[in-house]
Amino acid sequence: MNWKRITLYIILAIIILIQFIPAGRPELGTSHENDLLYNNEIPEDIAGMLRASCYDCHSYEVNYPWYSYVAPVSWLVARDIREGLKELNFSEWESQSKMDKAKNLDEIIDEITEGEMPMPIYTIIHRNAKLTDEQKEQLADWADSYAESLFE
Amino acid sequence: MKKISTLIFIIILGFLFVNFTISTPASSRQDVKTEKAKYHVPEDVQQIIDKSCYDCHYSESENEKGKKKLQFDKLGELKLYKQVAKLADIADEINEGEMPPEEALEEYPEIKLTDEEKTKLVGWAEEMAKQLSSDSE
Repeated sequence: MNWKRITLYIILAIIILIQFIPAGRPELGTSHENDLLYNNEIPEDIAGMLRASCYDCHSYEVNYPWYSYVAPVSWLVARDIREGLKELNFSEWESQSKMDKAKNLDEIIDEITEGEMPMPIYTIIHRNAKLTDEQKEQLADWADSYAESLFE
Repeated sequence: MKKISTLIFIIILGFLFVNFTISTPASSRQDVKTEKAKYHVPEDVQQIIDKSCYDCHYSESENEKGKKKLQFDKLGELKLYKQVAKLADIADEINEGEMPPEEALEEYPEIKLTDEEKTKLVGWAEEMAKQLSSDSE
């Protein structure tokens, strides 16, 4: 047995072993009771953008692709979704105070306009989540007028 | 003799007047700042803001980043939801110890907030944010 082969076996063993380390995927609710899209009349194109570009990490409607079950990718995906849900959860939108809604909508505008969200590492793989400049503007304009309507 | 004392009296009166007019612009600065504001800033909170926040967070600031995020002198001109959002952000940033930033504290240690000042500022910002939210209920 040569060294090349031994190294290969070791690497293989490590890959198999790390699969047993839990990824820490967050527990997801199933209710739509407090969901933003279920409780409000949101224009279809806006709802589509929110679903395609935000809902994968910022709602209970997470889609885990197959590779998100394979360590070490699973750890990264789980961490991003955990943190995403902590920052903003559209599935629990209506359970927030009006103050928090204002804060989140203002933040959404900033993050989208500055290109911070959706995260580049996410849109590399999920091409359909990438927002065009025009879509960014549309989404930011919607967030602004929706926020205003809450305070009328 | 009477004439002299009358003269002195007039001169003193004149001094008082001059003093009064000189001191007016300084004290009205507070009013100008919050002129259009829908929120109220008590004197002690204004002092904390002046000491630790204002230099970066006002419309003429040279700190572009600070100016972009928040301008205390223009806060009251923003849309209502933006005012609420900014006030809530202020409370969060102070609570998390993010503001004033480390770099600023290194250069100007005197702007560091005491625990008491933090409590006061956070309490005010939260109270105002809540008040503005419920006013439009």
